Amino acid sequence: MNRLIKRLLIIIFINFIDQNIAGFFSDLLIIIPLTFLAYSFYVYRSDNNIGAIEAFLVGLFIDLISDSYFGLNAIIFCLITYVINSYANAFKLFSYLQICIFFGLSCTAYVGFTQLVINLYNFSYLILFVSAIVNIIFCVMIAAISVYFPRNVKMKI
Amino acid sequence: MARISPTPSQKITFFFTTALGAFILYLDITTSNFDNIKNGFKAIKISSVYMVKNLAIEPIKSLINLSRSKNELIQENKNLKKALDTSYLNNYLISRDNIFFKDQEIIRKAYKDGEYTFEYDIAQLRNINPNMYKCCDKHRMFIEVTGTSEHGYKESIVFNSSGIVGQIIDKSKFSEVLLLTDITHSLPIKSESNEFFCNASGSGRPEIIICSYNPLVWNEDIVLDQIFYTSGLGGIYPKNIKVGYIKNIEKISSNLTNLEIRLFANPLDDNLFGVLKY
Repeated sequence: MNRLIKRLLIIIFINFIDQNIAGFFSDLLIIIPLTFLAYSFYVYRSDNNIGAIEAFLVGLFIDLISDSYFGLNAIIFCLITYVINSYANAFKLFSYLQICIFFGLSCTAYVGFTQLVINLYNFSYLILFVSAIVNIIFCVMIAAISVYFPRNVKMKI
Repeated sequence: MARISPTPSQKITFFFTTALGAFILYLDITTSNFDNIKNGFKAIKISSVYMVKNLAIEPIKSLINLSRSKNELIQENKNLKKALDTSYLNNYLISRDNIFFKDQEIIRKAYKDGEYTFEYDIAQLRNINPNMYKCCDKHRMFIEVTGTSEHGYKESIVFNSSGIVGQIIDKSKFSEVLLLTDITHSLPIKSESNEFFCNASGSGRPEIIICSYNPLVWNEDIVLDQIFYTSGLGGIYPKNIKVGYIKNIEKISSNLTNLEIRLFANPLDDNLFGVLKY
């Protein structure tokens, strides 16, 4: 129970940060889906496979707190969980750069899909392209920090 | 430790949950079945923030204020700020180039007992998601109206000190306002000469509404920075209220032109709004 509450609070906190930085970045045509990235990283780092029900419920909860359509995050979270579960062992053969590109492109797919649903009339390929580059750079930066400052971050990619 | 690839039963579960998610998404987009849950959650969120603020932050603030012996001054400052905001709304209503000033049907008791008393209610902003407002098609905000109207506030106009921002579409604990820029909103507008009429739809972009018209039907020359007014044809908004000015003219084809109109009023500018039943 404590673990569940802890996870919910972490999701709410990350989503809160996500929504607060989104306003600033949207002026620069950038979307960084922090909640999605954090969840993907959690699935990636997990010792065991994350179940479909858990992914679905987390997605539904994020739909509720982020004021988006119900089912939007639930679908994407189920898909990314399935993909990461399927390639969990293959990731060990990949370099950090390849993993960063994978997560960056996953974020771009997430941005594209969510924009198609919630912002269809103003869908912009420019936002998608800029977000892809920024997300990949963001993932590389996170990886670089964990590699070069392992004692400070205590987070292993 | 190695992780095993999803088994066939896990794959079926993933497929099932994804399909269920798609079905729920389709239901939410096409119907309003989940609105009660969303509005309930928003009401809880707003109330809890309000409560936490009152219980946790306000006492700390007042303690600090008490130690500085500035309580009364701060309270007076708050009252003055509210009075100033209200006077901005009043100024907007009585402004000389505004039809509100001239129409006695709208303001029935414009002058009473030596002071202005308008028949509109003050509303406090309770919730607006600036991210949704900046990024997405759905532009809504929640306000708390302080008055007690007998007929309710549904379809009432909401305005701030710069102009009209939208209309109330739903009333639960807080009133939901459909902003002019929401893509589902349509506002009948006209030019100053009364020779051009058009329905301007929300663009999903901040402060922008779009009016599509056939230039073969409407002969009037539309120029940049030309001001547009409400036509009063929809029955919701009164006529001749300044809405915005032309920001961009886009010729799509020989029989279709889009006018991008930049609104005068931005809902993010004020915390205090006026609610008027027309």
